[in-house]
Amino acid sequence: MAAPPPASLIGLVALRELRAERRQLDGLVAAVTFIAVLVFLESLVVGPVVARDPDVAAALFWIALAFATILATTRSFDRELEDDALEALVAMPGGRDALFGGKALSLVAVLALVAAIGGVLSLVLLDLTVALPLHLVAVATLGIVALPPVVIVDVVLALRLRARAALVPILALPVLVPQLIAATRGTSAALSGDAVGALAWAGLLFAFAVVYAVVGLTIVPAAIE
Amino acid sequence: MIETTFSRGAALRAGPWLGIAAAASFAVASFMALIWAPADAVQGEVYRIIYVHVPSAWLAYLAFVVVFLASIGWLWSRRPLYDAIAVASAEIGVLFTGLALVAGSIWAKPTWGVWWTWEPRLVTTAVMFVMYVGYLLLRGLETDFARRATRAAVLGVIAVIDVPIVHLSVLWANSLHQLPTVLRAAGSPALDASMLLTLVVSVAAFTLVYTYFMYTRVQLELARQDRLRAAAESPRAQRPRLP
Repeated sequence: MAAPPPASLIGLVALRELRAERRQLDGLVAAVTFIAVLVFLESLVVGPVVARDPDVAAALFWIALAFATILATTRSFDRELEDDALEALVAMPGGRDALFGGKALSLVAVLALVAAIGGVLSLVLLDLTVALPLHLVAVATLGIVALPPVVIVDVVLALRLRARAALVPILALPVLVPQLIAATRGTSAALSGDAVGALAWAGLLFAFAVVYAVVGLTIVPAAIE
Repeated sequence: MIETTFSRGAALRAGPWLGIAAAASFAVASFMALIWAPADAVQGEVYRIIYVHVPSAWLAYLAFVVVFLASIGWLWSRRPLYDAIAVASAEIGVLFTGLALVAGSIWAKPTWGVWWTWEPRLVTTAVMFVMYVGYLLLRGLETDFARRATRAAVLGVIAVIDVPIVHLSVLWANSLHQLPTVLRAAGSPALDASMLLTLVVSVAAFTLVYTYFMYTRVQLELARQDRLRAAAESPRAQRPRLP
């Protein structure tokens, strides 16, 4: 059987992921609840005045989103393993190559939803003022695109290993440091009205997204047995 | 089945000489660093720790680039020698990254007044340290040889991105850490000639020590792979697993 073109296969895998996510909303619900809890905790722990500082609010939001990415990605692969679906996908012609792209696309969609809910919660509850809304959207979009590639690679590396729950954050968070710094600084710049800063950090996020997407597309097929 | 075409005869003969050269160069470097090089006009004697700190940081970079190259080698050819080189270099890299952090911290206390400060070079180096501890952790959790080597190789390829980030962090952000003194874009090294020579000798000595450590650790890893292969080929073999 001839394999479908890679792009359409990636699209099919992404659609399949989103359908599975819609049927079992636990990954999405866990990620959104996690962000909401952290926003509440932030105000309680550091106090409402410090919590409203753009640097603090942005840092906490992106750290929460990084953990939410790990949660959603791990849940996505757990679902595959529970149903033995991963073997079927990898055995498909071109399936091994499409796995990374499909997962990345679907996770970007899921994270966009999580970030939108978490972002609105942060803006409303912390009473934040957004000086440059379009810049904020650009930074947030590129930040969301930059997170999943690294986490998918790390979840694939830790697949079926004992202590996986501890191993994935240990592997992923150090690699995500540049993305988290860029996303935090970019968000803070957009909140405080620094257009040049926001665009510069957005550009860095774009570069990281491209680098890790290329690395993931190239290397993940080799890492999946 | 694991296959290797690595000829170990020449390497085994070179080993003792490499060890002697490493020990001799280390003795010369120690003499130059502790006695021959003059004290710094501003920092006094405490600056001498750069003769440990800088070579350790250099070896950390070198070791992790070697992990990257060996990882590419494994993914490309599946030769066990590359996996042995990768694990050896990662372990030595973690050791020297830790040494660079500790030496830097000892120097920072009398110079900056604190053991640790949240500035880019220190934080990115600590992140690199954690990253390769994670690499070794990943290797420890997988028991199947080929799967372990492949997973580690993928991480070895990805993690190397932190090396240029660590090195360039002092240029990208406002940093308390000293800017490059030897390899400067602005021109010749900003260091007294005798201090520069001592630093060069120290870097060379540490590199020889790294080479000797690599030689020894790779031999150990290859011997372990041999034991695994023998166990797999034994008639009474029962699903061999690396410890």
